[in-house]
Amino acid sequence: MHSAVQVPISTLRGVMATDTAQKVQEVRQVTRIERIGAHSHIRGLGLDDALEARQTSQGMVGQGSARRAAGIILEMIKEGKIAGRAVLIAGQPGTGKTAIAMGMAQALGQDTPFTAIAGSEIFSLEMSKTEALTQAFRRSIGIRIKEETEIIEGEVVEIQVDRPASGTGVKVGKLTLKTTEMETIYDLGTKMIESLTKEKVQAGDIITIDKATGKVTKLGRSFTRARDYDAMGPQTKFVQCPEGELQKRKEVVHTVTLHEIDVINSRTQGFLALFSGDTGEIKTEVREQINAKVAEWREEGKADIVPGVLFVDEVHMLDIECFSFLNRALESDMAPILIMATNRGITKIRGTNYESPHGIPLDLLDRLLIISTSEYSEKEMKQILKIRCEEEDVEMSDDALMLLTRVGIETSLRYAIQLITTANLVCRKRKGQEVEVEDIKRVYSLFLDESRSTQFLIEYQQEFMFSEKGAGESESMEVA
Amino acid sequence: MSRGTEFVLRHLGELEELAEEVLTAKQQIVDLDKKRNQNREALRALQNKRKASSKESKEWVCFGNTFLKLPHCKTEEMLKEDQKQLDTEIEKLRDELKPKVKRLRDMEGLPDVKGFDLKSLTKEEALAIHR
Repeated sequence: MHSAVQVPISTLRGVMATDTAQKVQEVRQVTRIERIGAHSHIRGLGLDDALEARQTSQGMVGQGSARRAAGIILEMIKEGKIAGRAVLIAGQPGTGKTAIAMGMAQALGQDTPFTAIAGSEIFSLEMSKTEALTQAFRRSIGIRIKEETEIIEGEVVEIQVDRPASGTGVKVGKLTLKTTEMETIYDLGTKMIESLTKEKVQAGDIITIDKATGKVTKLGRSFTRARDYDAMGPQTKFVQCPEGELQKRKEVVHTVTLHEIDVINSRTQGFLALFSGDTGEIKTEVREQINAKVAEWREEGKADIVPGVLFVDEVHMLDIECFSFLNRALESDMAPILIMATNRGITKIRGTNYESPHGIPLDLLDRLLIISTSEYSEKEMKQILKIRCEEEDVEMSDDALMLLTRVGIETSLRYAIQLITTANLVCRKRKGQEVEVEDIKRVYSLFLDESRSTQFLIEYQQEFMFSEKGAGESESMEVA
Repeated sequence: MSRGTEFVLRHLGELEELAEEVLTAKQQIVDLDKKRNQNREALRALQNKRKASSKESKEWVCFGNTFLKLPHCKTEEMLKEDQKQLDTEIEKLRDELKPKVKRLRDMEGLPDVKGFDLKSLTKEEALAIHR
């Protein structure tokens, strides 16, 4: 597992205000990697320009029709056509449902918000189910906005502060700034001197000064001064001397999600809640106000709405209340595209005694576009195992790969993938270069797959505790 | 010349022309900003001088190759006027630059830069997005 939170928090200090949204995006990116670690090899859907699925591409193997279908949906998402629709990916376990969702997320790119949750994640003591779902929904809708500032950006050539002889009184000073094209002198007032000293600005620093607020930001040190000192802190960042004019107009476009705006504007939480992850419930009034504001901005041409994707894995874990909430929420004009995945057949809807296909009520099912995945063939399975080997940096001989594929066919793809890492460890233990047939055999005997474990349980039923079968003989077992 | 070649040539010509325009505008902004900074320095110098001595004096002003002696207040006025004009000129160039760059990207077959056609949020509005 990657350490999800540490990266962004360490960079939090001294961040420029305009950078905030970018940092937030980093957070989301990291969590995205962390949650679907088993699918880290997937780079996209592996389709060509005509939306036909290539047999093996971008980490995707097989499942041609499902990928084609996903590709069409992706196209519609990109054109902004199916906001507020829902897609269900259904198929047996280990047939690449999450992989397809992951591929879609990758293909959508940086700018489109993608949220992945598991169905069971919404059950929490701190938050109601619908609140958790609403938050997930609003995490998946981006608002694109632009900010414009007039800044002075340049390298400090010289900074000179005159202290009055009496010790107290008005300080005056001069600041010389340059770019690659020009150089100029600014007279400094007391306030400016204060903020420059606070930022510890000295000759050789690259700084920006916000024209409207006078806020000074240090961007780093100039490359030309890289050899000024021998010992330097690890934080010292070197940047090129800025080009062009000194007084620039800076435009920053960024996408924030509705949820981020919610959190920042719900007073009790504040900004830090975004990073600690502990957001609690957000009042409906706050959300309504934000919706109104965003709608207003859109009218004025100040904001674009970017409908993203909400992916709910293991959707059968949701109960009937959640389903009815989803039904309703999808009709809102600011709904993202909902992608769900399930491996269930006809089963009980959670929270009721009724059975329904995929454990989803029929009225919701009726709104869905359903994509189904099918079992992998032997060839495809081999291909996937090969890709996983590359991803995990494991060298494997052809025979071993063949054997592993057989194991995968007999048991399951997931079990076979587990064996890659373990076999590699065994191989390294015997100081081998690549994983051989014996390594696979060894781990196969060490780790049981699901069917062998079941077999074992059936055989030794009596020896285990609380066995329901043959409960009469259970006395002897406690001693054993 | 076949029609294909002609088309390509014309297209490339247009592309070059447009690129040239963009580069010129950028350079012009830089030149104007340089001028603006020099004027600002001059204005500041005049102000400091007036603070030092309350006496009304004349200043040397350089026009091209000739130096003229002009009254203090007149010089200041001239510079301020100049400054105002420079500001509007730069602003105008910047506003024109954006559609030009957009057209250039379009002709080069690059995707549009998303969001740059939006109006910018005001400072107060931006507070709602981040603190």
